Amino acid sequence: MFHGSGLFALLLMVLEWTRPGLSSPLRPICDLRVLDHFIKEAWDAEAAMIACKDACSIATNFTVPLTTVDFDVWDAMKIEEQAQEVQSGLHVLNEAISSLQISNQTDVLQSHIDASISNIASIRQVLRSLSIPEYVPSSSDGEDMEMQKVSSISELFQVHINFLRGKVRRLLTSAPVCRQGVS
Amino acid sequence: MRNDRLKIVFVLCLAFVSTGGQHLESKVAQLLQDKAEDIKCFVEGKDLTCFWEEEEERNNLHDQYTFTYSYENKKKMACVVSSLSLLASNKTVFFCKLPKTPFFTTLVVQVYRDAQMLYSRSLNAENFLFLDPPRNLTVTNSGKEGQLNVSWLPPPLKYMDDSLIYEVRYAMEGSNMGKVEVIKVSTMLVLLGLQSDTRYKVWVRVKPDGVAYKGYWSAWTEPVFGVTPPGDMDPLIVVLVLFIGLILCLLSLTVILSHHKFLLKKLWPDIPTPEHKFPGLFTVYKGDFKEWMSQNNGSIWGRSVHVYAEELPSPLEVLSEVSLTGHATSQREERKPVEEEEEKESERSDSRLTDRWREPPHAHWLMEQLRALQDNPESLSQSSLLQSHDTYVTLNQGDNERQDDDVFEETVPLQTLFTTAGTSSLSTSRSDLGSLQQSSGSGRLSSQSSFEYPNHTWPPKGPGYAYMAVADSGVSMDYSPMSSSRIAELGKHRMYTNDYKNDIFPHKWPLSGQHIKSGSGSCTGTVW
Repeated sequence: MFHGSGLFALLLMVLEWTRPGLSSPLRPICDLRVLDHFIKEAWDAEAAMIACKDACSIATNFTVPLTTVDFDVWDAMKIEEQAQEVQSGLHVLNEAISSLQISNQTDVLQSHIDASISNIASIRQVLRSLSIPEYVPSSSDGEDMEMQKVSSISELFQVHINFLRGKVRRLLTSAPVCRQGVS
Repeated sequence: MRNDRLKIVFVLCLAFVSTGGQHLESKVAQLLQDKAEDIKCFVEGKDLTCFWEEEEERNNLHDQYTFTYSYENKKKMACVVSSLSLLASNKTVFFCKLPKTPFFTTLVVQVYRDAQMLYSRSLNAENFLFLDPPRNLTVTNSGKEGQLNVSWLPPPLKYMDDSLIYEVRYAMEGSNMGKVEVIKVSTMLVLLGLQSDTRYKVWVRVKPDGVAYKGYWSAWTEPVFGVTPPGDMDPLIVVLVLFIGLILCLLSLTVILSHHKFLLKKLWPDIPTPEHKFPGLFTVYKGDFKEWMSQNNGSIWGRSVHVYAEELPSPLEVLSEVSLTGHATSQREERKPVEEEEEKESERSDSRLTDRWREPPHAHWLMEQLRALQDNPESLSQSSLLQSHDTYVTLNQGDNERQDDDVFEETVPLQTLFTTAGTSSLSTSRSDLGSLQQSSGSGRLSSQSSFEYPNHTWPPKGPGYAYMAVADSGVSMDYSPMSSSRIAELGKHRMYTNDYKNDIFPHKWPLSGQHIKSGSGSCTGTVW
C-alpha cells in the first residue's frame, strides 16, 4: 500500500512537472499603464484613419463588437460574463482588422494595422496573466454576443479604440487578482 | 392621492435640483461660453447632462422642448427637459440629464421643439467629463527656505484615480501674476523657488488625462494661503564674500611686501646726514668738530680739495685768488668758519663762529666796494667788485629769462639793503651776501654770471646785473647760531649738486681749503 501511494505521488509529481502544452503561469500585470500604452497607439491609428478619407473608403462590411458600457449594468455583471464579452470582442476585432492586411494599403496605414493586431495579442496576454478565462467560441449559437456592422475603416478603428477604452479597461481595473493585492 | 404623489415628486425634484443646482449652475455657466456647439454636454459623475440656451423670447414653458438620444442604432429614447435660470448672466437654459448614460459608444442627441428638430449632436460621453474640483487642499510649511508643500484629495470617482491630471496655480498675495505647475496622478506637490517670508495663494484643478477618458478642466478650488519660512543669509553668499575678502587681503599684502622698501622710503624718508662725508666725526670724536679738524686737518681737506679740484672750481676761488694777499688769509680764515658753520650741525662751534663772524676784518672793505658799485653801475668790468669771497655767483643754467627774473627779484632786497647799509644789521647783510644761488645739473657757468679774471670783460647786462654778484636769491643765510630748525629748513629746499662746467677756468685751483664745496651741505645757500 505504501508503495502504491508513493508511486502515485511520484507519478503526479512527474506529470505536474512535465505538464504538456501549458506554460508557466504569468505574473499578473495589474498596471494600467500597459493598457494605456496600447490605447494611445489605438488613438494614433484612429486619427490616421480619419485623416485618410479617400484611400480608406472601402465598401466592406466589418463585424465588430459592441462597445457600449453602462457602468451600473457592467458592475453588476459577473467576472466571467465580463471576460467572455471582452474576449469575444477582441477575437472579432482581430478578425476584422486582419482582413485589412490582405487589401493593398499605404505603408503608414499598414503599420497602424500591424500595430493594432500585435496590441490585441498583447492584451490577450495581459488578460491571461490576470487569470481571466480565454475566449471560447460558443458552439450553441452562431452569434450569442451582440455585434454590429460598420462600413468604413475609420468606423472600424473607432470601434477598436472605444472597445479598448471601455470594456477592456473596465475589466482590467476590476480584475480580482489585482484587487486582492490592493486590499 | 395622485396629486399628492405628484407633489412629493415635484418637491423632491426641487430639492434635488437645488442641492445639485449649485454645481450644475456653475458648470453650466462655465460651459456657456463655448459657442462651438448648440447643445453643450458634460458628464458629471456617471450621468451625461446636455443643455441649450433659450433661443428667443418665448414663454419659459419647458414642455415645448423634446430631448431624445440614441446609440448603436437603437430606438430613440426621451429625456425630461428642465429649465435653469442663471442669476449671474440673467439667462435661462434648458437641460436634460440622461438616466442611463452609455459610454464608449456614439451617442446621438437631438432637441425638438414642437416636433421640429432644433439641434442635433453626436458625441461619445466619455470624452466630456466635467469633474468636480479637488477636495481638502492644504498648504503647509516644509521648513525649508522658499518651499511650500501642497496636497489635496481627488474628486470621488471610481477607478479613475490613476488617470487624472492636476494643475496647481500659485501667486503672491495681492499679485495677479501666478505660475502654473502640471502634475500627473500624484496628489501632492512641493513648490520651489519661492520668496522667503511671503504669503502665497494656491489653487488646484483637475482633468482626465485623455488616454481612457477626456474632459474639461474642473473649476479652481478656493484659494488656500501659505507663508514661506523666513530666509536667513544664504550660506553660499557668506562663504563667497569671505573668500573674496581673503583673496583681496592676500593680494594687498603681497603688493605691500613686494614694494615695502619703496613705500617705506615714501612714507618715512631717511633724513640725510653728512656723516659719510666726515668719517669718524660722530663716532670717534663725538661730534667735536674742532678736534676732528685738528686730527684730520691736512689730509682731509687736502684730499677733498684734490677731489674737488677735479671738478670745476667755483668762482669763489677765483675771487679769492685775484684779491689782494692782505685779504687772502683773512678771507681764508673767514671762509673756514663759514664752511664749517654750514657743514656742521652741532651747536658747539656755533658760538665760536658767530663771534668771529660778527667782526670780520674785511667787512668794512666790502661795504666800500659795494658803495662804489652803486655809484658806478657801469664799472662792472671791475673785477675788484667781485673779489670778495662773500659775494656769490649765480650760476646760469641757460634759462636766461628765468634767471633774469630771479635776478631782478633778488636784487631788490639787496638794493634796499645797500641803501640802508652801514652799521645796521651787518650780520643781516652778511647773511644776504652769504647766500648763494646755485643751479642744479650740469649747468653751464655762463660768462654772465661767472667771476672772471680781470682781463675778462663782463658783458653788460643791465643795472640789475651789477647786483647780481652780490645778489642773493632771496634766500638769506643766517649765520647766527645755526639751529636745528634752520638746518631742517635748509634741508627742505632743494639742494642742487654742483656739477656745472666752468669753461672759463679750465685749470684747477691749487688752493687748499679755499674751494668751497658746492653741494648739499656746503656753504652754498639754498635754492628756493
